Amino acid sequence: MKLSIRDKIGPRCIIKEDGQNIYDQIHGSLKNGETVTLDFEGVNQFASPFFNFAIGQLLKDIQEDKLRRLLLIENLNETGKLVVERVIENAANYHGDKDYRKILDDILEQQAKESD
Amino acid sequence: MPEKVIRVPSLNDLAWDFQQLFLIWSQANEGNEDVRFDFSHCQFLRPNAVVFLGGLARLIESRLRTVIFDWNTLQNEKVMTNICQNGFAGIFGHTIVGWDGNSIPYREDMTLNMNEIMDYLTYNWIGRGWVHVSERLQNAIAGTMWEIYANAFEHSGTQIGVFSCGQHFWNQNDLILSVVDFGRGIPANVRNFFRQYVDENQISKLSDATLLKWAFERSNSTCMGGVARGLGLDFLKQFIRINQGKLEVYSNQGYAIVDQAGERYENIRNSFEGTVVHITLRCVENLYQFQGEVQLPI
Repeated sequence: MKLSIRDKIGPRCIIKEDGQNIYDQIHGSLKNGETVTLDFEGVNQFASPFFNFAIGQLLKDIQEDKLRRLLLIENLNETGKLVVERVIENAANYHGDKDYRKILDDILEQQAKESD
Repeated sequence: MPEKVIRVPSLNDLAWDFQQLFLIWSQANEGNEDVRFDFSHCQFLRPNAVVFLGGLARLIESRLRTVIFDWNTLQNEKVMTNICQNGFAGIFGHTIVGWDGNSIPYREDMTLNMNEIMDYLTYNWIGRGWVHVSERLQNAIAGTMWEIYANAFEHSGTQIGVFSCGQHFWNQNDLILSVVDFGRGIPANVRNFFRQYVDENQISKLSDATLLKWAFERSNSTCMGGVARGLGLDFLKQFIRINQGKLEVYSNQGYAIVDQAGERYENIRNSFEGTVVHITLRCVENLYQFQGEVQLPI
């Protein structure tokens, strides 16, 4: 499966709705172990919400190494590559069940230290 | 309806000036009177003040009160020229329509219209030729600035939209962008988020500066739904730091500054309900860097 992002979305990969659109088109194939190619020819503006939804959320049920093997990205410029890499790193480390009590205790401890 | 006259002083973009803006916000919010802005003491009005006053006017109007910008009181020709040029005066009752110059148009976005906002950032702001960067880096900067609008619309709960204005200052060679919303504010939003997990006693101990700091850390997000988020502000602050710019955020009682010296978070005296993001870029040739020249980011 190969998708031209410019044909599907246009020259700007910015908003999460467009990211969700791409996710919906590729998730099933990737889940079935099929190779998917995203072609970014003609796309020149990027922002993280698009990639969070198009690619980051794939990591919810696909392992990172499998995703990197099956998802091929073509003609993505340096800016886009930087955003994608950061999004994948962020999604791979994401845990939906964070211990916010502990996090808040740590924040308060830090706040107390800084006000000393 | 009785009318309240609010005097607008000369307003730069230093901490004192923002404090004055938040006092004006308090004055305008008190009572139910219509509001008349008087500019007889105003000799200078930076874009942060322009955009704040514009948004504030819409906020007051949304409460069915009338706002008048009394242009007859504005005696300073430079200020008048500038706010006519950026379209602000025309939007608020002046007969003159804006034109191109060293100002960047004042704009009001009721919804997150991606193409309009990206065009504004790409062609009216970074792409005006004041900052000497490649087209690719212009695109990257515009994409990074987009995150400000995405955050404002997604998290602030603004009922009246998002307001922006910019300017290029030849003397300092600075390019400014100021974006304001009158939503809940970032600290209030984070505080609400934590309420799901911890009791009010704990929440009440958190200062707005602390909450702002949390929001600025990579991967931290108040968004639920199982999709990893929290990169927008991180991209923005890294870009600013590497390229010797300055990012300032005023939100509720919190203040954040990111510059070459690092990032600092403080509590300020006068708070307001909403968020101001104020960005200063230096227009120095060959300053702007891309991957390969530096480690990160855009």
